[in-house]
Amino acid sequence: MTLAAINLAVTLTVSALSLGAPVPSPAAAAKMKSALDGKSVSIADVTGKSGTLVIFTCNHCPFARGWERRIAELGNAYAKKGIGVILINANDPVKYQEDGFAQMQDRAKTLGLQVPYVVDDTSNVARAFGASVTPEAFLFDKSGKLAYHGAIDDNHTDPTAVKSHYLKDALDAVLGGHPSPVAETKGIGCGIKFR
Amino acid sequence: MSGRAWAAAVFSIVFSSAAAAEQNKLAGPSVSVADLGTIRAAVEAPGATAVLVNVWATWCEPCREELPEILRFYRAHRAAGLRLILISADDESERAEVTKFLASVEAGDARAFIKRGDDTAFVNAFDPSWSGALPASFLYDGRGKKQRFWPGSITAQDLEKALRALPKNQKGNP
Repeated sequence: MTLAAINLAVTLTVSALSLGAPVPSPAAAAKMKSALDGKSVSIADVTGKSGTLVIFTCNHCPFARGWERRIAELGNAYAKKGIGVILINANDPVKYQEDGFAQMQDRAKTLGLQVPYVVDDTSNVARAFGASVTPEAFLFDKSGKLAYHGAIDDNHTDPTAVKSHYLKDALDAVLGGHPSPVAETKGIGCGIKFR
Repeated sequence: MSGRAWAAAVFSIVFSSAAAAEQNKLAGPSVSVADLGTIRAAVEAPGATAVLVNVWATWCEPCREELPEILRFYRAHRAAGLRLILISADDESERAEVTKFLASVEAGDARAFIKRGDDTAFVNAFDPSWSGALPASFLYDGRGKKQRFWPGSITAQDLEKALRALPKNQKGNP
């Protein structure tokens, strides 16, 4: 790929789904292999009756690692409350070996994940969402509209120092049928290493 | 003084000078922990013909890879009034690590900060279309007006082209 093409690819990825948008339809049906059990699962497969949470994350990124326990805890807890949850790794493991499938399996086990942690093996699901950073959350309400997009909370290093629990607050709002108190945030993080 | 003592004295002076020079080179920039307002003031401060801002982190491999090239570009244009501001997204507790890395790439002549404060406000203040992914670079003209934003890695060629395209005669008043 030429430098110009790389720059274009990066530029194209910065326009994420707008609030109110549905899960892009080709991406919703894309089957992705889960590190939990090796089975293929799509976003459509996990859609919850109360909402759906899609988080682009990975193994190697220090920001994703900083939030991984909170991501696992939120995912496991809200999956039991009717939110469909799927964690997607769209990174090319050629660029970061730590993002390979075997390493994802290890991480899923270590974290006690009970929700799918899947491989977007073309990175096209991430492209369809306009996701560009890890971790990056997209929460859809029960009618399938994007209700929250952005960071997990406001402190990736120290869970005890968090002042704004953006994603948790948005999840509670979606469960209660209310608009998210903060609908869009941004967090500095690692760029997705697109295939 | 004996010949031997002279030799020892000369050796000591030469060695001290060399050590001091090496120390200077390795000292790296003074890294301040700063909020958005302080960082913006540094970007907009008059006296530069152009200001290049690079947001990076020690844990970000593409950031570490591109910094030497950015520094070479800066040194080639510093005399013409280019200012370089390096903003680390590392945690404040990583200040020693940030300083050590900047010293290793001999960035002693750049302004260096570790950002403090809300990410959303920081990211949107630099560019609403920026997702927050690192690295990211921004080029401002001499009046503090942003002229270019690069999400992702950049090359000296990108920078040269953008610098040439900047409006002329816009140096801020010192």
